[in-house]
Amino acid sequence: MASSPLPPNPAIDMPTGHPDSSHVAPTAPAWLALTETSAALPTDTDVLVIGGGLIGCALTYYLARAGVEVTLLERGELNRAASGTNAGSFHLQIAIHQLTGLEVDSLADRLLTEIRLYVEGARLWEELETELQGSLEMHTTGGLMVAETDAELALLHAKQRIEADAGLETHVLEGAELRSFAPFLADDLKGATYCPAEGHANPLLAAPLYALRASQAGAAIRTNAAVHSIDIGTQGGFTVHTARGRVRAARIVNAAGGWTNEVAAMIGQHHPVRRDGLHVNVTEPRERLLTPLVQHIGRRLTLKQASNNTFIIGGGWPSRAHGADGGYRTVWESTAGNVGVAVRVVPALADVRLLRTWSGALAFTDDLEPLVGASRRVPGYFTCMATTGFTLGPLMARMLAETLAHPAARSPLPDHFAPDRTASAAPAHP
Amino acid sequence: MSLPRSTTDVLVVGGGPAGLAAAAQAAAAGLMVTLVDERVTLGGQIYKRVGPGFAVEDPRAIGRDYAAGNHLIAAVDSPRIDVRLRTTALAIEGMTVILCADESHTVAVEAERIVLAPGAYDRPVAFPGWTLPGVLTAGGAQTLVKTQGVLPGERIVFAGSGPVALAFPAQLHHLGAGVVTVCEAGPPPGPSDVAAMLRAAAGNLSLLRDAIGYRAELLRARIPLRYGRIVVAAEGDGRIEAVVHAAVDREWRVIPGSEERVACDALCLGYGFLPSVELPRLAGCALDEDEDLGGAVVRLDEWMRTTVPNIHAAGDGTGVEGSLVAIDEGRLAALGVAMDLGALTREAAEERARPLRRRLRQRSAFRSALRRMHRVGPGIYELSTPDTMICRCEELTRARIDPAIAASTDPGVVKGLTRAGMGLCQGRNCERTIAALIARRHGLELASLPPTNPRLPARPVSLGAIADQEIEDHGFFTAAAEPRD
Repeated sequence: MASSPLPPNPAIDMPTGHPDSSHVAPTAPAWLALTETSAALPTDTDVLVIGGGLIGCALTYYLARAGVEVTLLERGELNRAASGTNAGSFHLQIAIHQLTGLEVDSLADRLLTEIRLYVEGARLWEELETELQGSLEMHTTGGLMVAETDAELALLHAKQRIEADAGLETHVLEGAELRSFAPFLADDLKGATYCPAEGHANPLLAAPLYALRASQAGAAIRTNAAVHSIDIGTQGGFTVHTARGRVRAARIVNAAGGWTNEVAAMIGQHHPVRRDGLHVNVTEPRERLLTPLVQHIGRRLTLKQASNNTFIIGGGWPSRAHGADGGYRTVWESTAGNVGVAVRVVPALADVRLLRTWSGALAFTDDLEPLVGASRRVPGYFTCMATTGFTLGPLMARMLAETLAHPAARSPLPDHFAPDRTASAAPAHP
Repeated sequence: MSLPRSTTDVLVVGGGPAGLAAAAQAAAAGLMVTLVDERVTLGGQIYKRVGPGFAVEDPRAIGRDYAAGNHLIAAVDSPRIDVRLRTTALAIEGMTVILCADESHTVAVEAERIVLAPGAYDRPVAFPGWTLPGVLTAGGAQTLVKTQGVLPGERIVFAGSGPVALAFPAQLHHLGAGVVTVCEAGPPPGPSDVAAMLRAAAGNLSLLRDAIGYRAELLRARIPLRYGRIVVAAEGDGRIEAVVHAAVDREWRVIPGSEERVACDALCLGYGFLPSVELPRLAGCALDEDEDLGGAVVRLDEWMRTTVPNIHAAGDGTGVEGSLVAIDEGRLAALGVAMDLGALTREAAEERARPLRRRLRQRSAFRSALRRMHRVGPGIYELSTPDTMICRCEELTRARIDPAIAASTDPGVVKGLTRAGMGLCQGRNCERTIAALIARRHGLELASLPPTNPRLPARPVSLGAIADQEIEDHGFFTAAAEPRD
């Protein structure tokens, strides 16, 4: 990564074809067997992780690998909410929800810290297939963020300067340079930033593979074990009552993602966390049209052609809450609207067929910062969740695991991630 | 939303027997009807018209079904019925149905009442070689015959169960095809079956006569009719060259050592049908499980109302019972709609419904009489080997799916870990097979497994046809705290 500002538009290596995960064997992957996840709960554990999404599974893996006695409880099946239903993109460029209108400079300090964190998160992902010894369909493809208007193009230039300061390589491409670099984009787009470090992975695989490796490293992972209530012990520690019996834990980590507050309420806590439904579309597979991730600086769009050559189109269109269990269903307006932006940006998509839409919960904090670390109010209670948790989740889990494995050492976690922080006055909105 | 919208009293989705009958009956009660079907002609699968560019010179030569179809289709030629062909229902939200017309654009129709009549598709059965060229479903083969006048092969093996297992090979033979063997999975009719059929014969004489006629035709042509046997493998280099069939027990489980091989160039499979419940599921209709009616069936009341207010359903798409039942169910649904909308008094609706209900009871009795012979056995889902393709769209063999089945009893989890069911057919071909594998592996009842989540759109559709530039981007994080309707 370059650490100084880059020249405006240097020649960039054009991504060709689709990078393969060379070290991954094409055999049928193994998964954590039901005989393990349905085994009896341990009576006692050091760390109890509540929530079997990407962060919970990753945390359990890093703890088990560090020799910490750890149990993960998942109320349903692993990886079924936000972790398994997001679009699988690694977002490193400053996204629209991080910007307040055009006042980029006022947010520069916060964005600098944040970008550095994202770069670190992406680096972890780069090594994850090797670490976990399995395919995650991980590809560093580079990512484009397009601008449709002159104002949006100005925004691209402004954000590129901050990204350069933070050590994130991005380039603003315009005119003929953009046409030749990304011929699949609509001719009349004003410009795009290109970030070589962006990419994507398959969200259906990461958490299950973490869980398998965690179990092999000695962790207990139990599914269909909803937590009903938590007693705080007078001598420290917790007694956790679940659908499948009781576990005593010295420390507990709330990794319930969008349901963080349902768990927090069991010990009288509340965090600045909300959830919403996220709409994603997937098409039939087609000949490779594009390699990089495509986003839009001013509209809700993420677009990629996945390993299996399907196009995955998302970007934060809403879905509708459905039923009492916190599920979400996709709606037509989001389907047509999201696809509308996609076809506007990549016109060749018009004749590709949509096969399916799906919806998952997206968890986010009011200030969009991660919520990771030790509670000051309840000793032994920790939280671990992150907005845009797919990119940052594994890193957050690894950082918290260090804190839990070495309680005496200084925590790598910044104070503004603390679970008991008060939410900042207003989240940044476009 | 900028979608062109129209309104109607009754929107009927599906132009097969149930939908045609429902549309005609609703219009007869004075209601304005919009009838949509995704195909280029009305009639559904059973009354499928000949394809564009083909002409029928002698209607009698192509069978009674054709004439019956003509009759139903003529009845929807009414100023009260807006028939829209090449029109596919993609989504149902409240009482608005999103339709894709001519594969090019979307429109919305808002209706006072909706009648879903989506029909059924062939029950897919996975066994070694089932994906070889030359292996067809009975429905697929019938489409070839009916719309293009093409026979599926010269040496055809037919395997299946139920009335179609006799009817279709007899029709094929009648058309000049060489049928070498017919395997019926169920047992031959015994004295008790004959007695049961005779007891249920009232109102079903034509069905009984057909069944006897088909059997006689096969006998006359000296086509071996093998009861209690199913196809366990299709073999061939690049295309089918032979079929292995074997005797089965009452559960349709193969009796080892009973295998026989027969050379052929086409295999038609007719192990019954599965209801196309995508639209009812998207609408939120409650479903029940009944393997004999095709697995997931739509829960209905005496007026064919689903559990979702103002949405009715009828025909094979609610549970597969054949075209005659579908027609009466379609009429019954329309009478219920007309009564609910005040176009018919309760008395008038009841009076018109009475003969329909009587006939439906008679059909039901006849079906019960056949049940011992044609009940679908669980063995039909147990023919795959590790190398057998289970999900054709994603090209997944059973060996690829087994580790995921070991991980969970939830079909949604297996789908997520493998992508099985995520391809072009959206699980229509593999979902039930995989559910059966899960049930067997974990010792569960197939009926107890939860279905995977319904997903928009109900059919694949080009992005260009649905893309809408005018939908306001509400943003995401900003709107999060506000309730959305």
